[in-house]
Amino acid sequence: MTTTFTPILKADHLTKIYSDRPTPALSDVSLTIGKGECVGIVGESGSGKSTLARCLLRLESLDQGTIEFRQQLYHSLKGHSLRQARQHIGAVFQHPTAALNPKLTIIDSLMEPLDLQPSLRPSFISQPIRNREQIATQLLEYVQLPTKLLSAYPHELSGGQKQRVTIARAISTEPDLIILDEPTASLDVTSQAAVLKLLQELQQSLHLSYLFISHDLAAVYQMSDRILVMRHGQVVDQFASNDLYHEERHEYTASLLDVFLA
Amino acid sequence: MLSIRGLTVHHQLQTLVHPLDLQLHRGEWLALAGESGSGKTLTSLAIGGLLSADLHAHGSIQLEGKELLHLSEPEFRHIRGREIAYVFQDYQSAFTPFITIGKQMDEMIRAHTSLSRQQRQHSCLAHLEQVELPAKPVYNSYPFELSGGQLQRAAIATALLLSPKVLIADEPTTALDSLTSRSIIQLIQRIQQETGIAILWITHDLRQVQRTADTLLIMKSGQVVESGKSHSIFFHPTHPYTVQLLSSIPKLPSRYRLELQNKQVNT
Repeated sequence: MTTTFTPILKADHLTKIYSDRPTPALSDVSLTIGKGECVGIVGESGSGKSTLARCLLRLESLDQGTIEFRQQLYHSLKGHSLRQARQHIGAVFQHPTAALNPKLTIIDSLMEPLDLQPSLRPSFISQPIRNREQIATQLLEYVQLPTKLLSAYPHELSGGQKQRVTIARAISTEPDLIILDEPTASLDVTSQAAVLKLLQELQQSLHLSYLFISHDLAAVYQMSDRILVMRHGQVVDQFASNDLYHEERHEYTASLLDVFLA
Repeated sequence: MLSIRGLTVHHQLQTLVHPLDLQLHRGEWLALAGESGSGKTLTSLAIGGLLSADLHAHGSIQLEGKELLHLSEPEFRHIRGREIAYVFQDYQSAFTPFITIGKQMDEMIRAHTSLSRQQRQHSCLAHLEQVELPAKPVYNSYPFELSGGQLQRAAIATALLLSPKVLIADEPTTALDSLTSRSIIQLIQRIQQETGIAILWITHDLRQVQRTADTLLIMKSGQVVESGKSHSIFFHPTHPYTVQLLSSIPKLPSRYRLELQNKQVNT
């Protein structure tokens, strides 16, 4: 089966310079993410992979380059139009504890995006359901968490459970793209496996597009259709996942491969 | 060399490590693997008498026949560093920030031996060379001037200064890049071959020790669920938890398997 490639996000020649660093954090980085696709970014610390995530979320200003999102100019948006465009991008970061306000119950943290935009109702939530608690309940069911956690506080949850809450929050606005920056790096091995599996299932059932960022080549391989390898702010290699062993792999990719091939 | 029998660690209310047995021989690499809360770190701390005051250890820990468990703190100070050395995950706090690496290494030898100043410096430089660092510049550096990988190497050099018999490494590469981790593991492997030091390696990541560990102990909720030769556990795990742990690790397919897979898709 061949599907047509519809780009959801197209970034060209992104450059980001921090004045206190000798080399650019991002240097001429281009990437395209197609609808329903998972693009993986692998790199070590300092490679620029998280800077890239923050630039794509417009949490960081660009020094050069353009970003199109949903076929519209995105990098220069401001104020209301930026907030509107950003509704369609979700994000999950490495530390779920930092992503949940310790003073809010899970339902309040989970429903914050929808509380702010009452007109938004995810289409995957069964139709007759109208009230807030029922929506929250269904969102938790999507990430396989027990409903009783709605009234709990973050400190009562394990790391894996907290990360599931942030994933539920990310899907609640039905975004076209979710940026996952090391979403399992702070989790134990077994909950990492469970969260990766959940992300794959959600991608299938909700037709999500992902940008999956990790230092773990094996996890990136497992999740992604295409992989970009970053080093010192540059994309040094990119390939389809099933082309992992092609002889033209960059030597840096080859050295990463050697580490992860146990 | 190190023999642990029936070791338990208690808190006032609960038992955190259930009776644990462990034998570590000269030149052996033993990996203690488990997830958070498994008791692997508590076990390693109990060996050097480093448990916090609210925790109590019982059983027997013998180093070359000498019982360690009921030593007083001054007696323990004599053993830590000289007989048993530690390397931890948090390399940032291995050194005091405002004293040079060399001075801190020097202090370590001075506290335990009566070597002359010149002999001490010679030993420090030799050990920095052993961990493949530019010895002189690192000796004169402050901790913040070094990268994470360099600091962890300097911490390893310091741990090895007094030629300990056992090196306890608690997640020493967890905070490091994968390429840096690999080179640190290869370094310790080489040092072990040269010196015959026994290594107790604490980790949550089984991938790290697949190529290096001789023996493996898998812990869960304070209990050893499986132990034995590393390769037999990797290839024939028997406990369901070990099976789960091994299958949870993200893996790359072999070149052969991926090519086969691609062929099937194309036909």
